[in-house]
Amino acid sequence: MKGRRVTTSPFPISGYHGRVLEADLTSGAVRVVPLDPAQAMDYLGGRGLATRILYDTIDPACDPLGPGNAVVIAMSPLVGSNAPTAGRGHMVFKSPLTGVLGTSNSGGHWGAGFKATGHDVLVVKGAASSPVMIDISPEKVEILPADRYWGLTTHETHDQLAEDAGPGKPARVLCIGPAGESLVRFAAVANDRNRVYGRCGPGAVWGAKKLKAVRVRGREKVAPSDPEKYKSGLDQAVYLLKQAPVTKRLLRELGTAGLVELINLISMLPHRNFQDCLHRDEDVERISGERLARAFLEKAGSCALCPIGCQRHTRVAGRDGRDERGEGPEYETMVLLGPVCDVYDMEAVTRANYRCNEMGLDTISFGGTLACAMELFETGALTAADTGGLGLSFGNAEALEGLVAMTARREGFGAELAEGSFRLAGRFGRPELSMTVKRLEIPAYDPRASLTQALGYMTSPSGACHLRGGYAVSLAFFGGAKEIPRFSLLQSPIAIRNMQNAGILQDSLGVCRFTGYAFSAEPWARMAGGMTGRDLSVARLEEIENRVATLERQFNVEAGAGPADDALPARFAEAPITVEGKERRVSREDQERMRRDYYRVRGWDADGRPTGELLRALRIETRRG
Amino acid sequence: MSGRGWKASDELLRLLRAVGRASLAYDIQDSHSGNMAVRWKDERGQERIVITATGSQKGDLEPSQICFLSAEGTDFGYYKASSETDIHARILALPGVGASMHAHVKELTAVTMNDAPKPSRPPDFAPVDTLGYHHLGRAVPVDWFAVPSGSAEMTRTVPDRLAARPLTVIYGHGAVAKGRTLQEAFFLLCVANNAGAVVRSMDRLGVDVESLREKIRNGPAGRFAPPPPAYEIDGDERCDFPEEEEILREFLKAGHRIFESRLSPFHTGSMSVRGVDSMLYAPKASMPADLRGPLLKVPLAPDAADGPEVKVHKAIYAASDFQTVMHCHIPEAEASAHFSYPGETGPCDRIIPVDAEGSFLYLAVPVLPPDFTPAELVGFLHDYKMAVVRGGGVWAVGTQSLSEVLHHPSSLREICHYRIAARERGLDLRRMEPAKARRW
Repeated sequence: MKGRRVTTSPFPISGYHGRVLEADLTSGAVRVVPLDPAQAMDYLGGRGLATRILYDTIDPACDPLGPGNAVVIAMSPLVGSNAPTAGRGHMVFKSPLTGVLGTSNSGGHWGAGFKATGHDVLVVKGAASSPVMIDISPEKVEILPADRYWGLTTHETHDQLAEDAGPGKPARVLCIGPAGESLVRFAAVANDRNRVYGRCGPGAVWGAKKLKAVRVRGREKVAPSDPEKYKSGLDQAVYLLKQAPVTKRLLRELGTAGLVELINLISMLPHRNFQDCLHRDEDVERISGERLARAFLEKAGSCALCPIGCQRHTRVAGRDGRDERGEGPEYETMVLLGPVCDVYDMEAVTRANYRCNEMGLDTISFGGTLACAMELFETGALTAADTGGLGLSFGNAEALEGLVAMTARREGFGAELAEGSFRLAGRFGRPELSMTVKRLEIPAYDPRASLTQALGYMTSPSGACHLRGGYAVSLAFFGGAKEIPRFSLLQSPIAIRNMQNAGILQDSLGVCRFTGYAFSAEPWARMAGGMTGRDLSVARLEEIENRVATLERQFNVEAGAGPADDALPARFAEAPITVEGKERRVSREDQERMRRDYYRVRGWDADGRPTGELLRALRIETRRG
Repeated sequence: MSGRGWKASDELLRLLRAVGRASLAYDIQDSHSGNMAVRWKDERGQERIVITATGSQKGDLEPSQICFLSAEGTDFGYYKASSETDIHARILALPGVGASMHAHVKELTAVTMNDAPKPSRPPDFAPVDTLGYHHLGRAVPVDWFAVPSGSAEMTRTVPDRLAARPLTVIYGHGAVAKGRTLQEAFFLLCVANNAGAVVRSMDRLGVDVESLREKIRNGPAGRFAPPPPAYEIDGDERCDFPEEEEILREFLKAGHRIFESRLSPFHTGSMSVRGVDSMLYAPKASMPADLRGPLLKVPLAPDAADGPEVKVHKAIYAASDFQTVMHCHIPEAEASAHFSYPGETGPCDRIIPVDAEGSFLYLAVPVLPPDFTPAELVGFLHDYKMAVVRGGGVWAVGTQSLSEVLHHPSSLREICHYRIAARERGLDLRRMEPAKARRW
């Protein structure tokens, strides 16, 4: 199972190697396909390019866990440069959790490591009959047996594969843990031990393909075509990152968990499976970033080329009394495993987070599914007989850690949790208790506290994702000059379209969402334009963003999604929360109006389908011609 | 003075107080200077003149400082009313005039002073900015008076001047404007002060103002963008989107800031927030507290009746994803757009920040010629978020909020301030600018 390096002519655009690596796990064949320069300029890289290649590679109606699905991981022309935070990779696939586009992003160092092998994109197709790994370097690409790693945690796999690589430039490892092997629908793929492609269940797709890991090593570099232009954008970006309070201080000192107190202040911090946003101040303090920094933090850390440094390297007392070390928890984890389950025990949340990272589980979906189970249990829809005697009431912090392992290995009641909250709630007769959009669990921002956030969840291509749906909290609270009204029906559709587009740009450039707290597209336009030597003005980037958003929608339409999938759970329309003294809900009428307006803003028809005219205008080739 | 007139109606008091406060905020009065007069019908339908009291603090008017006089001029009290009451009375007798106002428009006053021996008639003031040119006319008279305050000579001359034009300058003592409403008279005084500020900034930059005036005389059409909309006196209280409480608040906040930070004179400029098929639009963007302008909901589709201002908003939205647009008339920016570097012919095509924050936020701010096309403007706005139109104000855009778009013209005023100050101190701007900014 070996692939020879294929010599291709020098790629005409700087920043790209011009090489797409395809691995077919069914046949064991590996080949390098030249990257199409026009496609690179139309879709840029990362999320955009990966989505285009996925759309061209698979049938969106395919079985996500079958060999017809594919995994595409793409880098951008900035990955491998010294642009701030530009080390991120983007992975797309059809999601086994949602049935629509799975799209996930991760930092760390693997992305830059992959780019250094001399490739821009990795496409994994087919399925192996026994566990395999892919080993990539500039000299060779091999699909190797991985039986000896099967069953290991993500940390064990990472450490073992890095050690087995021998001396030389350090190897970077991307792998799944037991959750992926067990086809848990929200299993993650981890790199550099604790960075994860978490959402939408990519780990299950890898597990179905029997792909345990991808190890990379290389020294290939990229250089800007117009260094002066590139540097002007770089200088501006670095200056602004050092200036904005969120990027220069908050995230470094408190990590993303620093949001806990602040999100609570704007009545957006969910509680008890999103039943309300009410918390006692002292409880919030117990799970705050401030307390994490005071009591658990050993040091901050950074992904590749990141001046922000939001990583939390922490230490917590284990259940046996000995100290454990790990990373996190992040804000989303803290809240989903915390107050959403009515838990305010930071030690328990931190340990459960460690276990999730080791097992390879998405903490948002795990927490959301567990909270759903707790509400099912309290309403009597689920009993101790169903849970194997486990009392799953809200607030059961003790159960967290054990349930991670049970879920990851599909043991006992863990097999039910492994299906995600949509299937769990449906199976136990209370589908309305699943807090999901497109079957993806809602992150830690209550949509009733911001219509923009609500519409972001509704229209996100991957389901309820705060990153793909538009990072609306940065408009609701941290936007600086960009803060917008939280309850404007008129402004929300365009505001969220623009936020989603900003996210598409960041994901397609392989850079961190947090840079958006400091600056918008202009510095990126200069860096990307300077790197490639091509016209990547802000207007051109805007066109690319709209093209990617429409292609993602086209994928989902072909996968069977429609307007009914662009809706919030009934709870958010029926049960109000109180925000600044006013009752707030997202009524069905408001959802209908925002959804209709959003489709129009995007240029889609009344059923949310991209029109032929739009597809032609954006030069998107589809199966319908 | 009539005893019956001691009680101003709430509405009238609110108006005089609001304009008084705004004139202080815009720095066209000292604490006690100037005066305001309006025609008003009392409860018995009798025409009266209402005028501020002499020596009253215009920023903090009390009810007892509003004086009611008969329109016939038979009971002018002079005990309390302005010392310039006779002048106002004659102005208010002009056809169609409902209000008059005198203010110490410092910028205009400063640039109309000269050192010629007096008595002599100073030259007219010729505005070189689009607002001044179109709203005040190509020549604004300037009169020297031996007694330049409340004199009989002024009472004869000033109303005569205003019979044919909206505003006249009293040498060394500000200006007097007439209006159909007090807001209009105040608007004209702010525009006049702005016109003076443009010229004064040009003087400090070393722009050849007389040469520019000559070019304007020879071909005004080529020197200015399409004219600003005529001043409308109706509908200031209109609000088409009361249900959008939060956006409404954002409009008012931005409007206050535009006015108070002198990013555009009173009731000039425009701003909008885009919806799916309509935009919320403030055609009088510069709005001090308590002196709102209309807040309209306008379809995004082009309409044959659209004026040039609305057309640009719609054109920007049609060709971009921007959510907010703002248009302002910043005097320092207008002057900077006419600046030529020593040894170079023709005005600059960009304003390059020389201050730290300006440099990092905006490598350069493009300057477009007056006959710009919307497509050119949108192209620059995509890359720079803001562009100056020589003879046409500053256009800026935001991806999300009014607050965001406001930041751009606000920053530009600072950027221009530092450039003008540097030039005034004899510093070499070229040496201070990043070289790369010249190539963008």
